[in-house]
Amino acid sequence: MATLPMQFLDNPPPFLFFTGKGGVGKTSLACAHAVALADQGKRVLLVSTDPASNVGQVFGIEIGNHITAVNAVQGLSALEIDPQAAAQLYRDKIVGPVRGVLPDAVVRSIEEQLSGACTTEIAAFDEFTALLTDPALLDCYDHIVFDTAPTGHTIRLLQLPGAWDDFLQEGKGDSSCLGPLAGLEKQRARYHAAVEALADPQRTRLILVARAQRATLREAARTHEELAEIGLTQQYLVINGILPQQEAAHDPLAAAVYKREQQALAEMPAALQALPTDRVRLKPFNLVGLDALRHLLTEEDAFLPASAAAPTLETIHAPALSTLIDDIAANGHGLIMLMGKGGVGKTTLAAAVAVALAERGFPVHLTTSDPAAHLAETLDGTLEHLTVSRIDPLLESARYRQHVLDTKGKNLDAPGRALLEEDLRSPCTEEIAVFQAFSRAIREAGKKFVVMDTAPTGHTLLLLDATGAYHREVARQMTDPHLHFTTPMMQLQDSAQTKVLLVTLAETTPVLEAANLQADLRRAGIEPWAWIINNSLVAAQPQSRLLRQRAANELAQIDLVATQHAQRTALVPLLAEEPIGVVRLLALTRTPTDAAHPEQISTLKGSSL
Amino acid sequence: MSTIQIFDPALCCSSGVCGTDVDQALVNFSADIDWAVKNGAQVERFNLAQQPLAFAENTVVKGFLQRSGAEALPLILVDGEVALAGRYPLRAELVRWAGIAAPDAEAKPAGGCCSGSRCC
Repeated sequence: MATLPMQFLDNPPPFLFFTGKGGVGKTSLACAHAVALADQGKRVLLVSTDPASNVGQVFGIEIGNHITAVNAVQGLSALEIDPQAAAQLYRDKIVGPVRGVLPDAVVRSIEEQLSGACTTEIAAFDEFTALLTDPALLDCYDHIVFDTAPTGHTIRLLQLPGAWDDFLQEGKGDSSCLGPLAGLEKQRARYHAAVEALADPQRTRLILVARAQRATLREAARTHEELAEIGLTQQYLVINGILPQQEAAHDPLAAAVYKREQQALAEMPAALQALPTDRVRLKPFNLVGLDALRHLLTEEDAFLPASAAAPTLETIHAPALSTLIDDIAANGHGLIMLMGKGGVGKTTLAAAVAVALAERGFPVHLTTSDPAAHLAETLDGTLEHLTVSRIDPLLESARYRQHVLDTKGKNLDAPGRALLEEDLRSPCTEEIAVFQAFSRAIREAGKKFVVMDTAPTGHTLLLLDATGAYHREVARQMTDPHLHFTTPMMQLQDSAQTKVLLVTLAETTPVLEAANLQADLRRAGIEPWAWIINNSLVAAQPQSRLLRQRAANELAQIDLVATQHAQRTALVPLLAEEPIGVVRLLALTRTPTDAAHPEQISTLKGSSL
Repeated sequence: MSTIQIFDPALCCSSGVCGTDVDQALVNFSADIDWAVKNGAQVERFNLAQQPLAFAENTVVKGFLQRSGAEALPLILVDGEVALAGRYPLRAELVRWAGIAAPDAEAKPAGGCCSGSRCC
């Protein structure tokens, strides 16, 4: 078995960062890369921040939060960082001293402030800085491979002089999204050195990981431009999991997937086309064991598990989406919010739910943030009871930012204004701007169905509600004590009025990310009503041997969702044709075996392979 | 000269820009504070999300939080005694407490009802 001549493996600098959205295979590639370098005789440290990957299990050892030698691979050591745990440590440091001293409700409100994505991101970066700035480490290792990278937002904040001036001056108490760093001010020089190392092409290479899908390629292009702008110019692109052409011959579904992927590659964003690019084929296996890792970067077709027997997929209990829609329809009206990480198909499924409800004769307002505007256009006016509206997240965020800059920014000096502008580029700002735009439609949910393809996180809701609670308190004191108040939060918490549908894929990382979103919503007192597993190969029943093996790999995740995470589950098949238009959207809500087994999908039988 | 201490609710971004709406009171107040400091006032600000110890170690503030909760912030102390709670002060009030020269007539009003937008 020979490793392919991957460009991203050529003459690597000391620091290598793999970046991309969840589920594209960053950790697998980082591991395979680290093993490949070690196999060349290099001394390599692999740093994983991915709680789903369980790098220790891959190498058959216990790793954890300290550097551990991987005995099975000469020259390789590994370290696992759990950003959530790092964030918890940070919270404990701030909150610990006042717990039991200040009232519990106050302590909880502080903890919530420190529970956002920014805190986790900064806490992870804090862990990186030591690795990037310790010269002794580079005496021990030729390369340090990270399976993630800090976002442009974090790096820019760290580069802004205003960010530091503002909180480092004692007692001033002004803060920004860098707030989580306030307790770490003594390390300013180290952060500076870490950012410098990141932006130095002699020391750092960034490997963008994407799949051959329009959405993930668009996302990769955005990351590329953002990070190149702040100095991370040495970038490579790896497109992972491409379906090989020969699979297309056996199977209409595989043929359609192949065609779609090739088209996405042909129409790759211009910004990415100039990058040195490697393509890695879709493998039938998941990342388990050293053997699998060493095969990841090979051309070999059929690395099937030792049994080599065709997979026998058992009958699984997972109804089609139409079953959920029947339950939703029983209410006659309400707010339906689809939630999930980017790229899992929220917009498509929101459209499918809306179309299916309208087809049942209910008035439905579908409101979407689909950046392509494509879906809204194809659906508008096609069904009697369906209205479609669209908000543009970029436009809404820009409007919100401008409003803040015009008001708050008016009296600020240049560094203060730069800091404010960066604060306004944080992901939560966009989330809030978008949710505000959506909230106009929410009011209609008392008399019709309102279906949204996005939802705010529990963290945001809690913070927004903190303001709401204050409003309530003021109203209680100042007006009629019998006045009845319903806050938006109360509406969202009531499953008779609002149903949150979590969308995921039947893969390890997306399921874990959805579970995190669920935990976050639960903190806000919102219980997701159901999980939808989208783009399922099991449900699509492919003929291709490779896709059937991938389908078999889905079973464990589907089972995990059904038994551990979800109150209700629905399985949506991967479709050969892109689900555009009423007919294809309705097809999404059914599965091929629906008619025969409305409650169960009797799946692939190995004998037919 | 008197010391003015402002105990803010938990704000994560500068002046709570990520809240449900930009809080104009907070915007105005930030400008007023800048102005007052430039004119010689002694002002200290504490953010509940980042300096909770400052709240816990001050018996007046701690007692206030126990009675009224974080929703009742901001709390303003002048020389350690409660001067105002539940809204941000007007520029004229800052002037009086700090004992500095009065500003020109355009002191801005600071609406009191929706202080403390929160954020990320």
